[in-house]
Amino acid sequence: MVTPESIKHSIEQGMAVTHLAVAGDGAHFEAVVVSDEFAGKSRVQRHQRVYQTLGDRMREEIHALSMKTFTPQEWQEQQ
Amino acid sequence: MDVQELIKQQVTAHPVVLYMKGTPQFPMCGFSGNAVRILNALGVKDFFSVDVLSNPEIRQGIKDYANWPTIPQLYINGEFIGGSDIVSEMYQSGELQALLKG
Repeated sequence: MVTPESIKHSIEQGMAVTHLAVAGDGAHFEAVVVSDEFAGKSRVQRHQRVYQTLGDRMREEIHALSMKTFTPQEWQEQQ
Repeated sequence: MDVQELIKQQVTAHPVVLYMKGTPQFPMCGFSGNAVRILNALGVKDFFSVDVLSNPEIRQGIKDYANWPTIPQLYINGEFIGGSDIVSEMYQSGELQALLKG
């Protein structure tokens, strides 16, 4: 079964994050991703970047990954 | 027709297109249902919907078309807008309403 930890690991390996939280039940997952790489990117481009780190896992293992993406500055404003 | 050609034709022939699991009346997935609910809340009644569960070729093809691995996918005026999360965020911020008016 897919675990939140394994998703977290894939994302961390694939991109530079300053904050990352993943929760989920094995089929549906939720992630909060904070990264400098998101600066100047659209929402679609941000999600595509995260999906890229998961590669074929998104097509095969993971039914749904709900995401919120922030730059470090946006994340600070959220707090 | 090539499936990529078919998708391109669908998203350009209709102002609002939703690729989803199930139908607007009977969504087969909570995320698809969420997208339908938002379109309904915005008064978009006549959007073109494609049930990917009954179109396996489109189900795969649409993931390549937008470089986006999940369903639902919303298109407005031929442009890929996003999946369930992005559609929700844009609805909450008012951006989606503005796009649909434009």
